[in-house]
Amino acid sequence: MKDLNLMVAGPQGSGINFTSDTFAKVMAREGYYVFSNAELFSTIKGEHSYFRVRVNKDVVRSYSERVDILIPLDKSSIQLHLREVSRDGVIISEERVDDDRAEIVPYRDILQNVANKFNRPLSEFNVMKNTVALAAATKMIGLEEGKLKKVIEENFASRPKIAEMNNAIVDEVYSLFNPKRELNIEPTKPAKRMLINATQAVGMGKVAAGLRFQSYYPITPASDESNYLESVMGKYNFVVEQTEDEIAAINMAIAAANTGVRAATSTSGPGFSLMVEALSYAGMTETPVVIFYYQRAGPSTGMPTRHEQGDLLYSLSAGHGEFPRVVIAPGDTTEAFYDTVESFNIAERYQVPVIVLLDKAMAMSNNTVDLFDLSKVKIDRGKLILSETSNYLRYRFTDDGISPRSVPGVPGGLVTIAGDEHGEDGHIFTEDPDNRIKMMDKRMGKMERIKKEIDEEMKVKFFGRSDSRRVIVSWGSAKGPILDAMQSFNDLSFLQIRMMSPFPADEVLKYLKGKEIIAVEQNYSGQLAELIRQKTGLETNARIVKFNGRPIAYEELIEAFSAVPKKRRVVLTYA
Amino acid sequence: MLSSPVKPQNYKTDVEIDWCPGCGDFGILNALILALQELKIPNQNVVLTGGIGCSSKIPHYVNVNAFHSLHGRSLVHAEAVKIANPDLEVISAAGDGDALGIGSAHFVAAGRRNVDLTYMIFDNGVYGLTKGQASPTLPFGEMPKSLETENIKFPVNPIFLGLASGFTFVARSYSYNIKHLKETIIRAIRHRGLAMIDIMQPCVTYNNINTKEYYDGRLYDIEKEGWNPLAENENEYREKVGQAVIKSLEWGDRIPMGVFIEYKTETYDQKLKRLIPDYGVRNYVFDPIEKNGKPLQDITEMMQSFL
Repeated sequence: MKDLNLMVAGPQGSGINFTSDTFAKVMAREGYYVFSNAELFSTIKGEHSYFRVRVNKDVVRSYSERVDILIPLDKSSIQLHLREVSRDGVIISEERVDDDRAEIVPYRDILQNVANKFNRPLSEFNVMKNTVALAAATKMIGLEEGKLKKVIEENFASRPKIAEMNNAIVDEVYSLFNPKRELNIEPTKPAKRMLINATQAVGMGKVAAGLRFQSYYPITPASDESNYLESVMGKYNFVVEQTEDEIAAINMAIAAANTGVRAATSTSGPGFSLMVEALSYAGMTETPVVIFYYQRAGPSTGMPTRHEQGDLLYSLSAGHGEFPRVVIAPGDTTEAFYDTVESFNIAERYQVPVIVLLDKAMAMSNNTVDLFDLSKVKIDRGKLILSETSNYLRYRFTDDGISPRSVPGVPGGLVTIAGDEHGEDGHIFTEDPDNRIKMMDKRMGKMERIKKEIDEEMKVKFFGRSDSRRVIVSWGSAKGPILDAMQSFNDLSFLQIRMMSPFPADEVLKYLKGKEIIAVEQNYSGQLAELIRQKTGLETNARIVKFNGRPIAYEELIEAFSAVPKKRRVVLTYA
Repeated sequence: MLSSPVKPQNYKTDVEIDWCPGCGDFGILNALILALQELKIPNQNVVLTGGIGCSSKIPHYVNVNAFHSLHGRSLVHAEAVKIANPDLEVISAAGDGDALGIGSAHFVAAGRRNVDLTYMIFDNGVYGLTKGQASPTLPFGEMPKSLETENIKFPVNPIFLGLASGFTFVARSYSYNIKHLKETIIRAIRHRGLAMIDIMQPCVTYNNINTKEYYDGRLYDIEKEGWNPLAENENEYREKVGQAVIKSLEWGDRIPMGVFIEYKTETYDQKLKRLIPDYGVRNYVFDPIEKNGKPLQDITEMMQSFL
């Protein structure tokens, strides 16, 4: 087969992520493209969760509804997912299942043999059941056992005894398990690709960009990024500060930025809500702070571990008063890296807060990504002053509306920053109406400048033929399933909108005017479609939406693309 | 960090001060300026943060870097400034509402870090800038003239809370005792760690109870009565902090002032060094992150770890 889809399902805490991550890694090392998706319950242990890994010799950017190998780690997982298993698929089961797709693996015998070998009680090995299933799966697809063992060894590098036990299980499975049939996946050539998710891509982007200060308060799905950064801060010499709340997180990032270091904070919807007062402060004080905003299913606590793109319009309007802001929405892991670097450049060049909008699907799906091209990484710190200056005014009026930016410690460059309306010197004792107009013009004028100066590629990306009648318009992580589903059509093109503020109305008009417009969004109302109407006057002809907390599988999009625009609204429901 | 050839200029700005005539804040401003002059810290190496309120306008009146932040967030900004650039001298100003009402989560959390900075709380029992509502430190049952009803909430005790939160330097001073206040500010700045000064600062417009006349006869200096706040190690600290707590509970005819605790222990920069060996070796602000636009941080190894 060309496309191989593995699902590991079971109670949270039973090793499902270990199993799927290890499988994904082994296949990525073989040279395959891999895309995985994690569906977790908001609990530490016990509730039903499942992970999917899609493997293909050609690039894959989304998960599939189809399951070719089901690894159920408890009984209920078989019942829950049986209907998803394809006709020629396999269920790797410990118990007899009345289904000819089932391959029965003698878990108990295998674990008992290994327990005997290590002279330990069987109970100690029950937690390694998932390794039995994993090895059974790799044996069925004809993978050399040494390759699996190498990845296991690396995973348990700090616990060699555990690695040894798991690998003894692999040996045992390879010698004892005789599957009824084989699963063949089309061969591929070895390739060097990273297996990462967007939190890691953003983390690497931040280090490359010279980040010195990151603050955060624990929240799903954003904290994976901060935790990754914590794991490397000792080596790359920067501070990750876990704060008492998100209010402290954003205020610390702002103060660090005003001290002269590249600073960021990462959060999700509920945390961002707490940050909003300070976002407005950053706009007023012209602070180059970057907020990484991982959307999850709301409103309120919503479904904390589930996916949604429900915060687009909120991120554009949050904050009292009017101030300039940049909102960038990367569409995949690779974009997440380069956009992270660029977000700091934009923040410092224009002295504005920047929001990078991500989501749970990007945060939790590991996928294969080519090594980043570091020659493309550029750092632009704008009008930052780090050496002696004179006659300094933090908010000096200039032709381009952007003032030279001194920081504490610069001789002659004393800085006064205030969230009250201020004069050029930063002092607040002017509520003079003419000064107010000039200061508002100075700040808000940045939006036009940004629109004019930023490259089209940063704002939008167009895929497909420009003469196609139907154009899909979308953003963020919907990009992957759209590109995968588009391959089944030859009359579809796709406009990905990457910059939401300032909104690239000219570019959007250029690509969408006179077309049949189909919006694809992972929210209830079609927020991007609303934004396009507001900014360009263009109406979408159909909206395909999904808001059940799960990302889009490409097959459901193929169906939906066939149904629109006859159907004006299609709600995707696959879970 | 740029070593400064610049001499300490006048520490006063020429910004017009808009506090009420006779406001206790003037004494704090004068004491702070005297302290900075005595310590001769170059102006550009000082950051003074403020929250929101009468107190928090002080950054505009002192000729140093001024970060006038949000209500309740003065301390948070100060901590981040010091973490980002440990070579700076950081002083944070806040009102009692700032520090102990809207900002109380930060107050408690700051004790856990022990960032080396000075925190001055302008404590007058009322929210002056919004016309005199009760603040967290207003004593129970009091009804200054600006209140519609008597205050039925118990007050927060800043000294007790500072000690409980792990502040390593906790003091009380008085805005009309400029000599004591100046000396206390100097000691707080010299202290390595988080130093808090609860400054009794009468609000002449709204609080007609906790006035200069009220404090003048009541405040007494605990150090003049033999209290030695210094704790050089954990054992001494455990012993002294308990006694300091008992002293902090005193209020009424006699109100204690002076330094309650001065504990020499690991500061946040030292603790960060445990996790980040090179922290503080090169200055995060002045050590470049790029050369001709090319990043100086090489992430090749990070990428390779995911192959």
